[in-house]
Amino acid sequence: MNRLIEIIQSDEDSVRDQSLESVCGNATLDQLLGHASELDAFRRQESNLYRRVRALFFMSAIYRYHLPSQLPVRQTGHIPFEGYEHLLSRRFKEAIDCFLAAQTTDGPSDALASALAQAYHQLGFQTLADQVRHSVRTVRGNQWMFRVGHPDDHPLRIRPELTQVDPATNTTPLLKETTAVRMDFSHSAWSDIFFLGMDFPEGARVLNVSVDLGVRGRDSQTKPPIETYLRVIDEPVIRLASVDLGATTRLESISDTFDFARDYLGLLKAALIASGIVPPGLEGCRESIADLLGVMLGPGRGLELVSKINDIPKGSRLAVSTNLLGSLISILMRATGQVQSLTGSLGENDRRLVAARAILGEWIGGSGGGWQDSGGVWPGIKLICGTTAEKGDPEFGISRGRLMPIHHVLDHETISDETREKIQKSLVLVHGGMAQNVGPILEMVTEHYLLRSKKEWDGRKEAMEILDEVVDALKAGDIKRVGDVTTRNFEGPLQTIIPWATNRFTDALIEQCRDAYGDKFWGFWMLGGMAGGGMGFIFDPKVKDEAQQWLGQRMLQTKKTLATSLPFAMDPVVYDFSINDKGTSSELLTGKSAMLPDRYYALVLPSLLRTPLRDLSLRTRSELERISERCRHHESGSDTAGLLLGSVLPSISTDVQKESSLQKVLSEIGFDREQHEQIRADLLSGRIGLSQNRLPANTMIEDVQPGQVVELREGIETKYVDLGKKAIQDGSVAVVTLAAGVGSRWTEGAGVCKALHPFSRFAGRHRSFMEVHLAKNRAITAKHGGRIPHVFTTSHLTDQPIREFLDRNDFFGFGGDVIVSTGRSVGLRMIPTVRDLRFLWEETSQQILDEQQQKVRESARTALIDWAKSAGEASDYTDNVPSQCIHPVGHWYEVPNLLRSGVLKQLIDREKHLRYLMLHNIDTLGANVDPGVLGRHIDGGTTLSFEVITRRLEDRGGGLAMVNGHPRLVEGLAMPNEEIEFELPFYNTMNTWIDIDGLLKTFGLTRADLSNQQRVDEAVRKMALRLPTYITLKDVKKRWGNAQEDVFPVAQFEKLWGDMTALPEVSCAFFAVPLRRGQQLKAQAQLDPWKRDGSADYIDSLCKW
Amino acid sequence: MQVQKAVITAASPSQNTLPLQQLVDRRGDVKTALQLIVEETLAAGVEEICVIIRPGDQEAYEQAAGTHLGSIEFVEQPEPKGYADAIHQAKAFVGNHPFLHLVGDHLYLSSTEVPCAKQLIQIANEFECSVSAVQSTRENKLPYFGIVSGPLVPRRNDVYEVECVVEKPTPTFAEQELVTPGLRAGHYLGFFGMHVLTSEVMTAIEQLLAEPSAEKATLSDALAILSSRQRYLAYQVDGTRYNLGLTYGLLNAQLAIGLSGKDRDQILTELVELLASRTEGERVK
Repeated sequence: MNRLIEIIQSDEDSVRDQSLESVCGNATLDQLLGHASELDAFRRQESNLYRRVRALFFMSAIYRYHLPSQLPVRQTGHIPFEGYEHLLSRRFKEAIDCFLAAQTTDGPSDALASALAQAYHQLGFQTLADQVRHSVRTVRGNQWMFRVGHPDDHPLRIRPELTQVDPATNTTPLLKETTAVRMDFSHSAWSDIFFLGMDFPEGARVLNVSVDLGVRGRDSQTKPPIETYLRVIDEPVIRLASVDLGATTRLESISDTFDFARDYLGLLKAALIASGIVPPGLEGCRESIADLLGVMLGPGRGLELVSKINDIPKGSRLAVSTNLLGSLISILMRATGQVQSLTGSLGENDRRLVAARAILGEWIGGSGGGWQDSGGVWPGIKLICGTTAEKGDPEFGISRGRLMPIHHVLDHETISDETREKIQKSLVLVHGGMAQNVGPILEMVTEHYLLRSKKEWDGRKEAMEILDEVVDALKAGDIKRVGDVTTRNFEGPLQTIIPWATNRFTDALIEQCRDAYGDKFWGFWMLGGMAGGGMGFIFDPKVKDEAQQWLGQRMLQTKKTLATSLPFAMDPVVYDFSINDKGTSSELLTGKSAMLPDRYYALVLPSLLRTPLRDLSLRTRSELERISERCRHHESGSDTAGLLLGSVLPSISTDVQKESSLQKVLSEIGFDREQHEQIRADLLSGRIGLSQNRLPANTMIEDVQPGQVVELREGIETKYVDLGKKAIQDGSVAVVTLAAGVGSRWTEGAGVCKALHPFSRFAGRHRSFMEVHLAKNRAITAKHGGRIPHVFTTSHLTDQPIREFLDRNDFFGFGGDVIVSTGRSVGLRMIPTVRDLRFLWEETSQQILDEQQQKVRESARTALIDWAKSAGEASDYTDNVPSQCIHPVGHWYEVPNLLRSGVLKQLIDREKHLRYLMLHNIDTLGANVDPGVLGRHIDGGTTLSFEVITRRLEDRGGGLAMVNGHPRLVEGLAMPNEEIEFELPFYNTMNTWIDIDGLLKTFGLTRADLSNQQRVDEAVRKMALRLPTYITLKDVKKRWGNAQEDVFPVAQFEKLWGDMTALPEVSCAFFAVPLRRGQQLKAQAQLDPWKRDGSADYIDSLCKW
Repeated sequence: MQVQKAVITAASPSQNTLPLQQLVDRRGDVKTALQLIVEETLAAGVEEICVIIRPGDQEAYEQAAGTHLGSIEFVEQPEPKGYADAIHQAKAFVGNHPFLHLVGDHLYLSSTEVPCAKQLIQIANEFECSVSAVQSTRENKLPYFGIVSGPLVPRRNDVYEVECVVEKPTPTFAEQELVTPGLRAGHYLGFFGMHVLTSEVMTAIEQLLAEPSAEKATLSDALAILSSRQRYLAYQVDGTRYNLGLTYGLLNAQLAIGLSGKDRDQILTELVELLASRTEGERVK
């Protein structure tokens, strides 16, 4: 039997836990293909889900990490478009069949390997997600909700206590639930991921503690951060309100409940569904909510559900949203008698039920969490363990473990009161300000777990031991040891398994703590999935108060220095916390005390005041009377009154300020209003737009002929290398790095300077893209002698941060050789047209998401179309901070900018021999002044030489093609249809070798003309007119509230460098270079495979630090 | 076990007039619901009947009892303290004997020649223990019934050994604790409103009444105690019950009785005429 299949099937741990590398490490191409084909046959007939999944991940890893290095250097391959379409539509099996068929006929290639790796990877995750979904649905107590198909069949009834009207105040009772959040001491290396717990229950253990919170400096005392309220109202609708998000809504039809992304109340809707109030089986039912409520509450009655999380910011790593979901579900289940007690704490059975429903709710809402996350529902400190599936469990025979773990609450004898007190006196709990998506990290963990690479598997085993050590240290009351162990956990196994769990910000804070407090700093404690947001710092209790103060300030300062390079969502905060020994608990408020929090009334008051008093129900009027009474209260009255007045009276708008500062910025940087209005007019009239980006349909686009590409993949002749070396020594070459971008894809629209993002560790610390490029420059000159001036072109958005960064680091020892070329062109973003939004979502291929996530996305898209209509299509996008409203106008402008800003002249004046420039993107990490490639360019004598690589699945966005018989680069935006791109095997890396004199000639200039600003400007303007303008839609984040973020697609225009190849008078050459030289990092999810496949080490080998 | 006594409860404040409603029986005779219930009892061979009523209702009930008045003893429940308390009022009447219990707001229609109550008594005689009549009930009806669960008695496909009794459970609880093998998904064994109980149940009720509780004690609570003390079975009756208390409950019951009696053709003809003459437009929106 195949050894890999043996590993997958074995019941022996020692065999099962072997890694893929142990078998494939030194395998030849044929052996790898043999393994892949046997595994593929195995996964097709294997009925056990987890074996199938492991086989899928093995195949994905073979195709991604092992096979490419065994392929001949000069291969080119095509990815069949049909397979790609299958992939986008989540027909993974069909995609795999299509790619495998292509592999059989055309032979293996890097392109096909990348496609297969992706398809197997996605099929693996889809299979796992399907299983979790199935398990969640089949948990006993959840099944009935999927059978209810009509409101008349609704089997729940409200508890009678909630409908009894108090005669004095005319109000129904108010049920109030308060819930803690959870803080995990250790999660044994993310072992709370469902898949892990279900496949490896022995290794799935978490120690977490329920805590109450207060924001230091804002709240006078700690309290359970989550409060939810429920009451019966005299209107047959469901009213939802989130006090923190300032959002309210009325659900009048059942289908409204399933429309998650329409407003900010998706979580409350998910709770209604998961608690069975609007059972998931009703999705698609067209009846009204009144019909449903009539059955459950009696005619004419409705429900009001209110949530409040005490302004705890997003990304706190304390599972606020899962516990809020748990709290909402608990209160709704209490009200319908699904859990035993109406008030007080919950029993163990009921807590499990609530947790199971919270898992269901997260799945319904399209989000995901770990199984420990609803820990705040339980009291105190608890050990949560995965457990083996037994006969009778729905999981039995499918997975080794159960979906739901078992919670062991550790009593006050096991962990003494004194120890609990000590934890509170040593731990400083903070929110660093970063709110990042943990999703990709969880996927990486799952993949690493299934591959069982030695280093990472050892890390996992160590993390499991560390959990025991934490428990022992807590039992012994030794907090210093706790700190020691959690630090070891963070710096050891966690970062071994996922290096991306930390970042420069976190590392800098730990370093500062160590420097400032030495052995009085007891350790760092990573919370949740990754560091940067919620974190723990443990200090000697003697210095804790002072350290807490100090840390608050240091975090703020550190954030300031990194604010332009890392995505911060808010300023850091320090929390006060205390251990919560109740978990979730509720009380029934009646009569006069049945009042909601002040902020709720501030939210609803404006609309109530607009309604004539006589139209308000008796109940509402009585409630208003009591609010007015509250305002007259001598102690707290003025706060309440202030809040309420604030909600109804106009306040000084900050929007006006924002707008004026945007106008100021625009006027300062020479914004071309005339051009902007022209673009708007063109956009509105349909002359430009996403569909107009495309070349005419009758354009002939074919693959290039072999002679049209200069082959450099198998090495470069020595004569060229020598020629290049000499040019370097003579100072004939300079580097231009394009650093104007804000990495829309990289940070999903967060708007930080991508060049400065410290994305990966090199030589012991996190380094930014910019540092990597400079280190390569340093390595080349160290090897060959000479100096290579290095220009970074910036835009308004990145100029200041880059200059400051260089200043702070003393230009990394390059002195005057590092030059910043300030961008001269910016555009103002616009609200997209509905036509373009529809084109993007409906006419271009889009990755379909998993079933539930896709529903959420579609609901969000409907909301965005409404937004575009109401905000005004093609009107200026100004509703954000100025830096998010303006945009760089495409990399074509950056080279002319060198001419206009005088930087090129400055270079030429200083370096008499300067003749060549190497231009590259900020994220092309392998690009360096390779003497061989440079020599080849010099010898060729062309004005521009572009480097191209063979295309992988993820390399979308145009390529090298014969367009109407002329070889040129075509942008992805300009492809008449998407299929054509798949017939072009070469992808444009944007690495360009430029002959300076040739370029000047193209612009109609000479070196002498560079001092004549007017001539240069004219030449640039003339050239710009000859190049196409593309409209693109980019995601921008709008931040608000407490680390909340909305993402909007906005329209902007661009001119692109590759279009220079379309000009007939420009002589161009195209170099096929090795993949690693042209590989680009576009999204952070690429980092992990990039590190695993040896690319990171390769880049490191090019650098001198 | 000889069952010679029957207890009918009709004291619920919201349902005390239901047994007084008039219906037409299978033979075409006009009778009150009470008469029909009493006939069911008599057909099972039980001739001593006790009806628990609200104070002040006796006169109306005496009239409604018609010719059967002689076999009925009326007992008042002084205060509306719930179902269990109502049954407890018959303690003196039943003494140490087992008794048949029926609810006053239900009518029963057997699918066989043997009336429902008789079927139940036969089972009680055979097994010598308390037995409740049950029927498979869909989960959307859970808010109306007491539910039992347990395994089948060996070699029987209609008698269950009761392990758990819960009054009006939520579907969540039912799915976790009350799933009974052999029933369709989402179906449970719901009370039929007919039981044969040993006098031990009175002790269980007394225990419940002694406990201070906010909620009124139900028969299900008492049966839960009973099941822990002695053998207690559930029998899936070959018949149907009609709850008169539901909306259109009386109409449904009348139609069911009528369609299984001598006037079946006449009723069907009239129904068809109704269907033909009432048009869509006349439906009240």
